[in-house]
Amino acid sequence: MKLALAFAVALLVQLALTASQLWWVLSACQPLLLVVVATTRKTGPTGVAWSGLAAGLITDVVGERIIGPGGIAGAVAGALVAAVVRRFEMEGPLFWIVGSLLAAASSEAVWLLTTATLAVRPDHAWLGALATVAMTAAAGLVVAAGERIWREWRSPTHRRRRLLRRL
Amino acid sequence: MVRIRLRPDLAIILVCAGLYVAAAAQARSPQGSALSVTVTAVSMPLVTVTNLVGQAWRDVREGQRNLAATLAELGRLRRENSALLRTNQLLGAEVASLREGSRLLAAFPQLAEHATLARVVARDILRGHIVRLDRGSGEGVRLDAPVLAEKGLLGRVDRVQEHSCRVQLLSHPAAAAAGRIVGNPTEALLMGGDPPRLTGLPPYAKVALDTAVVSTGSEGIYPPGLLLGTTMESRLEGIFTVVPVQLAASPAEVTVVLVLAPTTRTAP
Repeated sequence: MKLALAFAVALLVQLALTASQLWWVLSACQPLLLVVVATTRKTGPTGVAWSGLAAGLITDVVGERIIGPGGIAGAVAGALVAAVVRRFEMEGPLFWIVGSLLAAASSEAVWLLTTATLAVRPDHAWLGALATVAMTAAAGLVVAAGERIWREWRSPTHRRRRLLRRL
Repeated sequence: MVRIRLRPDLAIILVCAGLYVAAAAQARSPQGSALSVTVTAVSMPLVTVTNLVGQAWRDVREGQRNLAATLAELGRLRRENSALLRTNQLLGAEVASLREGSRLLAAFPQLAEHATLARVVARDILRGHIVRLDRGSGEGVRLDAPVLAEKGLLGRVDRVQEHSCRVQLLSHPAAAAAGRIVGNPTEALLMGGDPPRLTGLPPYAKVALDTAVVSTGSEGIYPPGLLLGTTMESRLEGIFTVVPVQLAASPAEVTVVLVLAPTTRTAP
């Protein structure tokens, strides 16, 4: 349920970021990939690959592109991220930053490769892929910072300090 | 009934392969579908709302910038206004000076030819009894030149620089000028002081109050016939009458003066 909610929210954010009133570079961001990264904490590589597949397919659909290459790219990216996170036992900010960077880079690479083998003219090339990687990694950084703040706020130490301040 | 159970990892590979084939098929027959129409219909309200939020944010930022610019402009205009006020005051003072100079030249047309119009730039009336003018030897001002104000004689030039000079006022303790009371042919000596006094009058001379005292030019500095002041209540010092004089020209109010050409001294 939480996963579905996260997918929905990420999808809404991804659509909203294409609004013309916002900074145009923001439209390259892929918040759905962050959800894929987040699932690595809950499921194994296969589960993450399935969530990547779903995220990719959704991206294909909302991007009005050929449905399929995005799904394949998402699945591969999810499996790769899950494998790397498990192998190096990543936690904290590093988990989000490396995870989002790896997910975006691998997803874009596989997507470009797939479209190339299909002899389809892709809607973006290296520059677009680079912007996607940069913006998604930046979003990962923001999430990492937010999680850090949230954990700090909820930590027993901070709770104890708040309690002492009230006394 | 046969049940096929696939391992999840194999299943995803199969799904990916299927997607690849489907994508290839789509690539061969590219045409819009109902799905894209649906996606557009669903995403449009969200994009519209985000655009409205973005527009509102931009409006707020623009408003802030405009406010800052307006405040800066207001500050600049205030500074400019105060500068203009100062300039206006200076110009007003300049006009007043020019008018005074014009009146002065009109009042003494016979003296104006060899005279220099000067502005008072500094004054020390109470202690030093001097005023400083903005004209000096560079403009033709010479030592001992008489200085004439609109209402009467002011004093004489006692120091000259290149572009300024100092005037010793008639109220200076060391100042002296030959003069006579109008209606009285006897010449007397106006001695500086506070107030200046007319001495050298005949014994027991009777002097009417508020009578004009004019220069005679005997001391070789001041031209004859120029107003020095008016008589105040006279008093006797021994057998001689001493008459305090109210000087005609007030150095505190004078802004423009006429520096006359010095009178050629004659040997006694």
